[in-house]
Amino acid sequence: MKTFFYNIGYFIKETGRIIGLNLLSNLFSVIGTGLILFLLGLAVTGANIGNNLVDMLNEEAEINAYFSNDISLAGRKEAVENINKIYGVRSARLVDEEEAKTRMENILGEEAKILELFDENPFEAFVEIRINVDEMESILENVKSLDGIEFVRDNKDVLEKIKDITYVFKALGYLMIAAVGITTIIILSHMIRQGIYNNREQINTLRLLGSPGAFIGFPYVLTGILLTLLGGVLATVSVVFLIKTAYESIGNVILFIPMPPRKNLIDNMIILLPSLSFILGLSGSLFGLSSVRKK
Amino acid sequence: MIIAQNVSLIYPDKTQALYDVSLEIKPGELVYITGPSGSGKTSFLKLLMGMEYPTAGSLSVLGQPMEKSNFGRIQILRRKIGPVFQEFKLIEGRTALENVMMGMRFLGIKPKQMREQAHEALEKVGLGHKKYSKVENLSWGESQRVAIARAVARKPSLILADEPTGNLDYDNAINILKLLKSFQKEDTTVIITTHATHLISNEQNATFIHVRNGRITTERRSVAV
Repeated sequence: MKTFFYNIGYFIKETGRIIGLNLLSNLFSVIGTGLILFLLGLAVTGANIGNNLVDMLNEEAEINAYFSNDISLAGRKEAVENINKIYGVRSARLVDEEEAKTRMENILGEEAKILELFDENPFEAFVEIRINVDEMESILENVKSLDGIEFVRDNKDVLEKIKDITYVFKALGYLMIAAVGITTIIILSHMIRQGIYNNREQINTLRLLGSPGAFIGFPYVLTGILLTLLGGVLATVSVVFLIKTAYESIGNVILFIPMPPRKNLIDNMIILLPSLSFILGLSGSLFGLSSVRKK
Repeated sequence: MIIAQNVSLIYPDKTQALYDVSLEIKPGELVYITGPSGSGKTSFLKLLMGMEYPTAGSLSVLGQPMEKSNFGRIQILRRKIGPVFQEFKLIEGRTALENVMMGMRFLGIKPKQMREQAHEALEKVGLGHKKYSKVENLSWGESQRVAIARAVARKPSLILADEPTGNLDYDNAINILKLLKSFQKEDTTVIITTHATHLISNEQNATFIHVRNGRITTERRSVAV
């Protein structure tokens, strides 16, 4: 460990030398890594927006439970209380006949006068239940089994689609991260191997003088981390700029898509991309070193 | 210190470099290994450095058995050896001082002390005035002195010099041998290979090992008169 501290200056100098030795190639690697991480940033931002949309849809996921005819008002209230206790239910609220009618009038607008043709209010009271889509099946079973509940309108098709969209967004996010991770590790490990090959004489001499592998390899690991970090910073700046520009110019145009707060997206990128680039840089360099060491 | 028992070395291309070599070198000895080119001198040094391993027999250097399975320990052993390679193996793009310090960086020596030892070694080989010169700008003889400084600066127990007089004129060759001899101490063994026997014919207090076709033909010790 003390050897490491005694040689910090040397390691930094050596890292600079390794980068300088193949400056143009390293510059392209930084740009390449930056572009890949930029794509990842875009994909993650897209996934964030998508997840936000899915969350909002999820919050709106709703089923309606209708009462049997013989139930009393107290029985209705008890049923609502019981529904509220079911795991996965966000909220359950009693909508009486009058509110149900008012809602329909609001929906029909000018056409609402058609309702005047009825002598009595044709609408039934029901329980409006907001649910967590993932728990839909168990909620449906529990609600159906409650006393006083005759029928449940589950909107199953719509809810299933919401669920599918959630999975697609998540799967795409993971796929993108895996693709970017593997690509960056391959690029970087190749770069490190190239650097080692260019310095093979020096490495061989150091080995003959008894240098430990970690001492020889450390500047290469530093080089890998530094280059990927630079790529990460480049990607972060570009993605943040793009998010800002997009929010300013098209944020108001696509009102129908509920966007998450801009600050959240930017903060996510500022944390995610540099940290990921550090991890990728470290693993890519170590992978490159180990593949050379095996030879 | 160095014990070789029936050591043979056959390279992967089936070239046999050493046959049944047995010898013992004690701490603090000055040893000249002589013989014509291709006789096996460098191969023997390679065995001592752990660059090759005996294909038969046993060899131990500073108490360390030189076997392939001991690579980790041999790597540590190398830190106690000061090698002066035939082709120097200096690192280009660095100054003489940086090259000398390079051999000490992983020995746990404090930076200030490391710098002092490197300066001292360069002064000793007469290159104090060229310590900041890049090694590619130095002459053959100067490069060799840097290589010697790198070997001795880390205060090794064993100095191995492979054909240090190879490309030098008589005066420079004698000077280099004198310089290498000056590092021989009670606890520092110096082994020098050379094919120029005329340069060492008057040496005293030294051991001479003559190698021919991979075999030790003569071994004698001279004492100071």
